Amino acid sequence: MDPVTAMYVAQGIHGLAYGMILFLVASGLTLIFGMMGILNLAHASFFMLSAYISYTVLQVTGNFWLALLIAPVVSAVIGILMERFLLRRVHASGHIGELILTVGVALVILESVKVFWGTENLPLPVPEFLQGLVSVAGLEYPIYRLFIIALALVLLAILTVILYKTRLGMVVRAAVSDADMVNALGVNVPLVFMAVFGIGTWMAGIAGVAIAPILTVFPGLADQMGMDAFMVVVTGGFGSLGGAFLVSTIFGLLSSYGVQFVSALAPVLMFIFMAIVLVIKPMGLFGERE
Amino acid sequence: MKSTKMIFSAIIAICCFCLVAVPQTLAVNDAFDPGKMADMSDFDPSNPVTPSGDTIKIAIVASFSGPAAFVGEIFYAPVLWAAHDINKRGGIMVDGKRKKVQVIRADHMSQVPQAKKITERMVLQEKVDVLWGTNGSHLMKVINQVAKKYKTIAQCTAALSDDLYDHKNFTRYSFMTSFQTDQIGRAAAYYYGQIRKKEKKFYILCQDYLFGHAMANGFKKGLKQYFPEAEIVGEDYHKLFLTDFAPYLTKIKASGAEVVYTGDWIPDAANLAKQARQMGMMLPFAHTFLDEPNFLHEVGIEGTKGLIQIGQYATTNPNFKNAGQIMVYRAWNNLWKNKWTKPFNTYTFKHGPGGGNIGSYMMQTYWLLSVIERAGSTDPEKIIKTWEGDTYQLLNGKVMTMRAVDHKAIQDLHAIEYVPPEEQKVNFNIEPYRWYDGCSGGGPVSRIPADKIMPLLDPELKR
Repeated sequence: MDPVTAMYVAQGIHGLAYGMILFLVASGLTLIFGMMGILNLAHASFFMLSAYISYTVLQVTGNFWLALLIAPVVSAVIGILMERFLLRRVHASGHIGELILTVGVALVILESVKVFWGTENLPLPVPEFLQGLVSVAGLEYPIYRLFIIALALVLLAILTVILYKTRLGMVVRAAVSDADMVNALGVNVPLVFMAVFGIGTWMAGIAGVAIAPILTVFPGLADQMGMDAFMVVVTGGFGSLGGAFLVSTIFGLLSSYGVQFVSALAPVLMFIFMAIVLVIKPMGLFGERE
Repeated sequence: MKSTKMIFSAIIAICCFCLVAVPQTLAVNDAFDPGKMADMSDFDPSNPVTPSGDTIKIAIVASFSGPAAFVGEIFYAPVLWAAHDINKRGGIMVDGKRKKVQVIRADHMSQVPQAKKITERMVLQEKVDVLWGTNGSHLMKVINQVAKKYKTIAQCTAALSDDLYDHKNFTRYSFMTSFQTDQIGRAAAYYYGQIRKKEKKFYILCQDYLFGHAMANGFKKGLKQYFPEAEIVGEDYHKLFLTDFAPYLTKIKASGAEVVYTGDWIPDAANLAKQARQMGMMLPFAHTFLDEPNFLHEVGIEGTKGLIQIGQYATTNPNFKNAGQIMVYRAWNNLWKNKWTKPFNTYTFKHGPGGGNIGSYMMQTYWLLSVIERAGSTDPEKIIKTWEGDTYQLLNGKVMTMRAVDHKAIQDLHAIEYVPPEEQKVNFNIEPYRWYDGCSGGGPVSRIPADKIMPLLDPELKR
């Protein structure tokens, strides 16, 4: 591959990799926000919390897979507790209550990580077996970034199967559509919603662990990803996993090719895209819920 | 006749002596004297001794909460050290009374409205004598505005934008003892053009806001002046707190650049270099803020080798030039190792007065306290009179001069090349003969003379 082609191909893969990271964060958010209608502004904080937990797990065990397993589960448990004991109480009073509560939770998480892990930047190296570059047709690309792409695709597949091919998924979608009716049929809807919230924070946790080796783990990590993930959910359409996946990919590609061709405009291309989509389709590309 | 000749010769000899020797003795108005430093063995930034009664109050206006909370701690420890030292010596004689120095933490949370609120509270409620800060030129601007409004002395130790002292923003109550964006950029260019003379192709990658552009402009200006044959093969500005640097790095790789000049600060700086190394790009970075030890260790020895840092608190090799300097360094380092707790026992605080930013903040504070002592008062007018045109010699021998016209410090800067631990002895000339084990660190150091990088002076500033 000649150097110019290699550069364009590399930018394409960078776009995909970044898009998949975005998807990992946004998929959890779209589950919670889109399907349950809960405005969870603490979502990115779970992403950050998981990165910190994975740092500790890695320090103690030295095993990346354990970190990838434990940190998201711990985040999910905290998320479930938050839903059960906090969010459920304010859900009836609408978005304002949720907004204030989740901002509060985000602040508590932020201060907690500072108490437990301090305020300095923490290093989390790429696991040894995923270090280095792989050469494909003359293009050298970091293995770890390819791993992130693969991880996101696997999670997308799992989530899609659960939501659209299992009874649980059917119940979730039904509960989202008409919770009272599903409740009347004997399904414990609060339990279903709690499980969905847990899966959403688990997804954020997976993203936190996956991205930590690329970024610095520090208390501002949530701010770095939160806004972009929120934009993905809005543009893709609330509750649409497919929408989140497509928009994440588009955002990633806009970001990388934007830097390549119109560098000065690169940071705003995502906003321009979102604005165009919302003007044409106010519910987002695949919006299912108002 | 013979005696007349002798008298005449004697007069000439005395004149010659005055011309040569007197300016040398008057070269600095004051100097940090390690011999006078108190026993610091009881110093612990986690358990500060707060003096009571009538004190000289210094407010550190900085981020003590939020994402940048760690920065506040980086300021706090060295300022507190200087205050503790002076207090143990008995304080400073001001306005006929011997007063101790009190350090107050003022959290601006990295937010402009909070910066205004807390700074005004410090002045009006706490009645501080000095506002010391801060991380972020936009926040320093607020501090300076408050200083001007309430006629309180402000010391700019960590904000680097030249604009803070241009004709629009200048206030005679504020003094910039930190280095500046334009100066840093020109220093890097001077180093590559006049000293190093190896690489010629540069790529500029800075953060997309006033500071990043000012850093880049200084470098471009410096290249024109000191390295006209150099080529800028690319120039980009990225958003703050960028997640993915890969697209920029791919562009840089394709540009054929030999050096990446960046004004980025942590976490962007760390993520930039870290992701570059993960992508197999071993290009050197010319930088100012890529010295955070946790990041350096993460990237490792090979990944940090060849970094070029433009530093404000450094000296030509060897780094430790006398017993006094070693004594101060050891006093800090022993406490770091044996006494302090988190966050002050982390890598970031390891070397303190040995070099780097913490050493710089400490020395800038000693300069402030020296000025107050020599002014004999906390009256802002007397401090201004003493500080304007003042010269002060730091622990490592470097001399700082406060330019009277715009209150910017004139100083040498240094270009520090990072080399593997076993090659650091040339710089770190005391045991263990290396800054760190797990990463590259300071090796060869080149002095950038102050007269080659004079602080930018706004021609419209009329005083």
